[in-house]
Amino acid sequence: MIGRVAWLLARPGTAGAAASALPITAFAIVTALLLTVLGGAQSFWSWSGDVGVTYQALAVVALVLLVVPLASLGGAAARLSARRRDDRLATLRLLGATPATVSALAVIESVVLAVVGALAGVALYFVLVPLLALIPFRGEALGIEGVVLAPLTILGVVLGVALLAIVSAVLGLRQVVISPLGVRTKQDAPKLHWLRIVIGVAVIALAFLVMSVLQVAGSAMLILAMLGAAFGGSIAVLNLIGPWVIRLVAQSQAKQAKVPARLLAARAVLESPKAAWRQVSGVAMTSFMAVFAGVGIALLGSFGEAADAESQELFADIRTGILITVVGSFLMVACSVGVNQAAGILDRGELYRSLGMLGMPTPTMDAARRRAVMSPLRITAIGSAVTAAIVMLPLTGLTIIVAPLSLAVIAGVLAAGIGVVWLGLLATRPMLERAAATN
Amino acid sequence: MSSFVIEASGLSKSFGQTHALAGVDLQVRTGESLAIMGASGSGKTTLLHCLAGITRPDTGTVAFQSGAGRVDVTALSERERSRLRREAYGFVFQQGLLIPELTAVENVALALMLNGMPRLRAEEYGRGWLAALGLAGMEDRRIGQLSGGQAQRVAIARAQVTGASVVFADEPTGALDSTTSAEVMRALLDSTTGQGRTLVVVTHDADVAGRCSRIVDMRDGRIVGERVPGVSA
Ligand SMILES: Nc1ncnc2c1ncn2[C@@H]1O[C@H](COP(=O)(O)OP(=O)(O)O)[C@@H](O)[C@H]1O
Ligand SMILES: [Mg+2]
Repeated sequence: MIGRVAWLLARPGTAGAAASALPITAFAIVTALLLTVLGGAQSFWSWSGDVGVTYQALAVVALVLLVVPLASLGGAAARLSARRRDDRLATLRLLGATPATVSALAVIESVVLAVVGALAGVALYFVLVPLLALIPFRGEALGIEGVVLAPLTILGVVLGVALLAIVSAVLGLRQVVISPLGVRTKQDAPKLHWLRIVIGVAVIALAFLVMSVLQVAGSAMLILAMLGAAFGGSIAVLNLIGPWVIRLVAQSQAKQAKVPARLLAARAVLESPKAAWRQVSGVAMTSFMAVFAGVGIALLGSFGEAADAESQELFADIRTGILITVVGSFLMVACSVGVNQAAGILDRGELYRSLGMLGMPTPTMDAARRRAVMSPLRITAIGSAVTAAIVMLPLTGLTIIVAPLSLAVIAGVLAAGIGVVWLGLLATRPMLERAAATN
Repeated sequence: MSSFVIEASGLSKSFGQTHALAGVDLQVRTGESLAIMGASGSGKTTLLHCLAGITRPDTGTVAFQSGAGRVDVTALSERERSRLRREAYGFVFQQGLLIPELTAVENVALALMLNGMPRLRAEEYGRGWLAALGLAGMEDRRIGQLSGGQAQRVAIARAQVTGASVVFADEPTGALDSTTSAEVMRALLDSTTGQGRTLVVVTHDADVAGRCSRIVDMRDGRIVGERVPGVSA
């Protein structure tokens, strides 16, 4: 039985090739990015001494910041592969496969896709290694030996990606069991108690105060602790009120919308502001961090002209690190937007086709889904950057005067990041056109 | 002026080895309700799509007679056919295929907004049609909060609101029980032929076809018979 059904599953269907290529590509990107990040971080671990510890601490911060968008990309990849299977689940049941058979096959299929993708990702990582090796830290390039990971680490990452696929497939199956009809359940917009907003504002105000008295604090440890608290607190607040702000903006956009694309986009965001937030929240953290740390470094750099060469080098390296982290997180968000869009288009294929029949132009459909991503992204990126600027207000003001160029660089990188996400959307446009085609 | 709103001749369409349409001639009269019947796979949907300018046939022509004159639909570009469908035709599908995140009235108004009508006025028209179809008070519900029959009436409102001269319906009652099916069919007829418009409906439900003014039967991509309901062939 399993053999026969497995054959049916493996047979390329009409959407078959594209539908398995997508999750494989997504898993490949996840794996390659994960390995690249680990490889970059690893090179710091070979350094010793006080400076080595500083670099390792900074690498941990960068890793933590990159984990959020990476996890959301991994989740998107796993969901895409699970969804592809859902499509044919019903067919298999009709063909007489028992639920247990179907479950087993579903998990196996997800793992196969994940492993194939992860192996492709390893190959992609080795293509990226020479580029990674060129990144300069402490005045010289990292070098190939520095960034190549041990075979065991690579194996661990591949297994980790497979595990992610298993977990997601099992979770997905449970959903199918719960709602056998696949009824689209509306996820309610998070109902936020006003108290949360008050707490949020209070934390931001507190962070602002902490940052204001920072100059008078005595020891370096205390400064670091206060910095950490202000940073962590503000990030927590962003997560608390992010979905709420997105919903509020979308609500007003839905009310104001005058053309179909805008109405559709606003309603799509309102369908699940939490999901809209999850997709772009990685950007929230990085753009907050970019402004927060960027301002600090710009100031240190301009006042520290008298500082010794080692500190100068450290400032330059932190600046490099910030840029890499921002670029990395935007790349991951762009990938998960692409993957989510691909899944969404497969999901709504029939709806898109019917809208095409009704005579809705494909550019209208495309504009709607683009706007549904870009609007929350803009709110998130700009909102987080502005929050960081407020928390650091006295310093931000100072930076505008003494180091306007470094702020301009940060703004430029954020803008470029938004552009990369836009490219991710553009990449899925042909899929939409195919889905909406009425032949 | 011709009394035919759509005239199709010599239509054929193949998908690989499958001859979905194998030489169909059909004239749709202005103001009639025409049922296309036949077994599954006999080519009903393909014929409907050719008549409505969704699919371009391999051979044959489809002409549409509007107030502004006669249009050779098969000679139009994809973009022109899309516009024709948006402005002159309405569609009702088996599964409603409404946009789930929009409200009922927004789904209806969208059809008008696509033709450039301002949103407020479009929603006003939408509300009017929903009320006429017995959905007053449900305008602001999301599609998921409606029953199958209610959703189908929203789809009918969407097909009607632009003042479409022909409404094409593919198994509009295929997913409904027989009572709801009869109600939806009445709503569909009232809002089309009841207003002097034309209805072309694909169905394999004899009760649904029985309420139309004319029935054509299909088999293997051909029209094999024509009947008037209540009169045995
Ligand atoms: N897009 C398509 N690609 C391949 N075959 C198709 C396509 N559309 C229809 N067919 C085939 O053409 C024949 C007629 O289909 P259809 O018009 O949908 O029939 P009906 O609506 O009467 O069930 C069927 O054999 C069907 O499998
Ligand atoms: Mg059909």
